[in-house]
Amino acid sequence: MTELKRIDPRGPRFGAAITSVFAIIAFGFSLDNWVYAWLILWVLFALFALSVFGKNITHPYSYLFQKFVRPRLAAPAELEDPRPPHFAQQVGLSFAVFGVISGFFWPLGVTIAAAFIFLAAFLNAFFGLCLGCQMYLGLRRIGLLRQ
Amino acid sequence: MGPDATLIWAGSLFAIAIAIGTAFRFLSGRGHRVKTSECIDLSRLKVSKNGVLVSEFGKKATLVQFSTEYCGQCPGVRRSLSQLEYRHGSLLYIDVDITDRLDLAAHFSISQTPTVFILDGLGEIKFRIGGVPKYAIIRAELEKLGAL
Repeated sequence: MTELKRIDPRGPRFGAAITSVFAIIAFGFSLDNWVYAWLILWVLFALFALSVFGKNITHPYSYLFQKFVRPRLAAPAELEDPRPPHFAQQVGLSFAVFGVISGFFWPLGVTIAAAFIFLAAFLNAFFGLCLGCQMYLGLRRIGLLRQ
Repeated sequence: MGPDATLIWAGSLFAIAIAIGTAFRFLSGRGHRVKTSECIDLSRLKVSKNGVLVSEFGKKATLVQFSTEYCGQCPGVRRSLSQLEYRHGSLLYIDVDITDRLDLAAHFSISQTPTVFILDGLGEIKFRIGGVPKYAIIRAELEKLGAL
């Protein structure tokens, strides 16, 4: 448990800000040219999948954050356990999977997925409300999650 | 649908997100009074403080914080509540790590951390706050119990 590297909580929020921009553009497109929206969802799917499964690969978000953002910020007040944000990425991934799959036969699913990804990412980035993190203890309690 | 309609839809989604965020900011950490008159059993909590098992409540009030290891905002709350305890002699502050004690979480229906309970001098739960508590609300409740 303690061997997990604690992280700067502003990192995930920075990533969420970028995700929310992608997601609202996808949402806008999905109402008109949903194929573009679908393509953006594929990109989001790849980004989420990379942060969930790519253990030793530097995520483009964290590259940007460490290279350009972090040096301009003061030291973080608090370091954070990486598990809830990681779990939140899994939630994001499942929405992206839903959107990508429904793109094959149900364009409205693309809109729905983009809307949910936008809501979750936006609330995380600009209000510090991490929906996935909020659900974490609750889900563990009802036995849906293990350590 | 033309580009105008697209902008309107995207704008509405944006507005919904801001409304949810603002509501969360406003409502989170306010807490509510507890009416069930349940007393906390300290022997069940098994909290130690400075290496000693806590067996008595604070004279006027006790603050119980439930934390988890993966909770990002718990340490900050811990610091500010410890400060409060340090300044007021009749107040006891304890922090319970429920990471591996989901039975406690289930018993008290805790679904987010930090969650803070305010107990009176007899250990009865009077108030509970889910999320990062608003400091003024904690102070007001403790004042009602005569702990400040």
